[in-house]
Amino acid sequence: MVAFTKHIAREWRFMLRQRYVLILLVCAFILSSFAVFTGVSEVSSQRQTIERLKLADETDRLEAQAKYDDPGSLAYYTFHLSYSEPSNLAFAALGERDTYPWKHRIRMLALEGQIYESDAQNAELAQAGKIDFTFVIAALSPLLLILLFHDLSANERTSGRHDLLVTTAKMKIHLWGARIVVRLLAVFLCLLLPFYVAAFISDTAWSSIALVSLWCFAYFIFWTLISVYVGRKSSSAPRVASALIAIWVLFVFILPILGDLAIKQAVHSPKGGDILMVQREAVNAAWDLPVETTMDAFVAKHPKYANYKKEHEGFNWGWYYAFQQVGDQTAANLSQAYADASQRKYDFAAYVAMLSPPMLLQRKMTRLANSDAIAAFQYEKEIRSFHAELREFYYPWLFLENDFDKAVLSDLPNFNNNENQHKKQNKVDTNER
Amino acid sequence: MTNSGSSAKYLLEAKSLCVSIDNKNILSSLSFSVAKGEVYALLGGNGAGKSSTLKTFLGFNLPSSGKVLIDGDEVNESLDKVRRKTAYLPENATLYPHLTARENVEYFLSLAEISKSQSEIDKAFERVSLQNDARDKQLQTFSKGMRQKTAIALAILRNAPIFLLDEPTSGLDPVAIDEFNNLVRELATSGATVLMVTHDVYGACQVANRIGLLRHGELVGQFEAKQNEKIDTELVHAAFAQRQTSEV
Repeated sequence: MVAFTKHIAREWRFMLRQRYVLILLVCAFILSSFAVFTGVSEVSSQRQTIERLKLADETDRLEAQAKYDDPGSLAYYTFHLSYSEPSNLAFAALGERDTYPWKHRIRMLALEGQIYESDAQNAELAQAGKIDFTFVIAALSPLLLILLFHDLSANERTSGRHDLLVTTAKMKIHLWGARIVVRLLAVFLCLLLPFYVAAFISDTAWSSIALVSLWCFAYFIFWTLISVYVGRKSSSAPRVASALIAIWVLFVFILPILGDLAIKQAVHSPKGGDILMVQREAVNAAWDLPVETTMDAFVAKHPKYANYKKEHEGFNWGWYYAFQQVGDQTAANLSQAYADASQRKYDFAAYVAMLSPPMLLQRKMTRLANSDAIAAFQYEKEIRSFHAELREFYYPWLFLENDFDKAVLSDLPNFNNNENQHKKQNKVDTNER
Repeated sequence: MTNSGSSAKYLLEAKSLCVSIDNKNILSSLSFSVAKGEVYALLGGNGAGKSSTLKTFLGFNLPSSGKVLIDGDEVNESLDKVRRKTAYLPENATLYPHLTARENVEYFLSLAEISKSQSEIDKAFERVSLQNDARDKQLQTFSKGMRQKTAIALAILRNAPIFLLDEPTSGLDPVAIDEFNNLVRELATSGATVLMVTHDVYGACQVANRIGLLRHGELVGQFEAKQNEKIDTELVHAAFAQRQTSEV
C-alpha cells in the first residue's frame, strides 16, 4: 500500500503537468459549483417564498376572521397555506419539485379542484429541468470521465510510448492503476467539493453526505471501468470516444425515453384536468339539483349529520359545503385512479432505472433529498389530511348547527409541514412500539 | 518450462518460434540466440517480421508454437521478471514532450521503481553526450537524435543486462548514428546483451557481432559481422527487395 502511494504521488504530479487534464478538471469544478449554486439559490428562494406566504397567509386569515362571524363565511373566506418545505439536501437534487406543485392555498371548498388547479409553471422549462448537482453527476460527469479515460492507453499507443511504458513499469497496476486512481480522485474532488461546501452550509445530515459520496464514487467507478474496458486495446482514441459517447447516449437518453414510452403505454392514467372537470361539473350541477339529492349523497358518507335540517329558506352554508363534499366524492374514483397510476408509474420506473445507471442515481438522490414523486404524493396526502381536519373542525358548526363562538378559532387546524413530519414520525414510532 | 535463468548460456533465445496474428503467419520457425555481451542485429525489409520478433521478446505477441526465452525464462510465463531484465528502446523514442529530459527519465525510473541520484542521472546523460543545458528543457524542443539520447540514457540507468532496440538509428544524422553505434559497442563491452532490429545493413555490420536476415518471418541467413565483406549481398538485397516485389 505504501509502495502504491508512491506511484499515486508520481501520477498526481504527472497529471498536474497535463494541461488538457487540468482544463477538464477546472471545467468539472466550475460546472459542479454552478449546479450547486443553482440548487442552493432555488432552495433558498423556495424557503423565502414559504416564509413570505406564511406571513401573508396569517395576516389574511386574521383579517377574514375579524370580518366574518358565521362559520360558513369564515370557512369560505379563510385561506390556508399548505407547502412542502425543501429538505436540507434538496439543493443537490431538486427532482420533481420542478414539476409537482409544492405550495397551495387551500379553502374548505371541494379539494380535488384545488389540488389539480396548481400553479403550472412554464411547461417547456419544467421539461428541460434545472441543472442541479444530480443532473451534473448523472448526465454530465460521464462525459468528463469519458474524456479523461478514453485515451488512457490509446493515446500512449498512438504516441508510440505504450510499449516502453508497459515494459518499464514494474507492475501494470503501478502504471495504469495509479493513473486511473489519480484521475478518478481528481474528478471526484472537483465535482464533490462544491457539494460538500453547500452541504455544510445547508446543515445536511452526515449520513446523507456519506451516502451521496458513496453513490457518486460508485457511479464514477462504473463509467471509469466502461471507459477503460472499451479503450483497453484500441489505438484509435476517436474510435474509443465515439463508442463511449454512444453508450452514454444509450444510458442517459435512449433507455430513459424508451422506458418512459413503455410506462405510458403500460399504465393508463386520467389527467389532473379530468379530475378537476368532473369535480367542478358535479359542484356546478348541484346548484340545480334538489337539496335532498345532495344531502342524501353527503349523509351516506357522513351519517352523523343525518339529522341536518334539509329545508332552509334561500342559501344555506351547510348545503353549499355538502355539495362541495359531494363534488369531491364524485371525483374520488378518478382521483384514486390517478394516484394509483402515478404510484404504478413510479414503481415501473424503478425497473427502467435498473437498466440505466444515470436514471438509477437520479432516483436514489431525489429519494434521499425527498424531492421525488413519492415526496410529492406524500405532500398531496398531507393536504388531503389537512383539508379533512378543516372539515372536521367546521362541520359540527355547519351541520349540527351548534352555537358558534369565534373563540374556538384558536383551535383551527394549521398546516405545518414540519409538524406534520413530526406527527408522522411519532405515529410511526408509536406503531413500532 | 522455466529454468533458473542466471545460468542460461544465451540471454535471448527464439526456438522454432511461430507467431500468427489474425490468422496470418508473421513469424515461421524462427530460431536464433544471443549470448551475453553479444550484439545481434536482425536485418530485413519492411514487413519482414523484425519488430514482431522484438514484440514477442517483450511479451506483446504470443507464440502460436515454439518458445521465446530471456535468460532462460519463457517470456509469457514470467513476464514481469523478464521485463525487469530488459531495456527497450522504441523506434521513435517518443517520451513525454511536455516534460524535460530529466523529468522524463525520473518518471520512467520511478515507474520501474529504480532510485537514482541526480549525479547518476547526469552521468548517464554525459555518457550519451546530451548537453548540460538541454537536460532541463522540454522534449518538444529536442531533435530526434536528442530524444533518442534521452531514451538511451533511460535504458542505461535501468541497469538492465539486455537491450532490445527497434530501428535505433532510423532518422538520425550520420554523426548521431556514429555516436550511437559507439555507445552500443561500449554497452556490449561492459557485458550488456543487445538485440537490435534494423534495415541499416552497414550500420548493423559496424556494431553487431552477428547479423540475422529475416524474410517473410523466416530467418534466411546468419552471418558473423566481422566477415561482413563476405556477406551474400545478393541474399541481403533479395531480402529487402522481396517485400517490394510482393507488394507489386
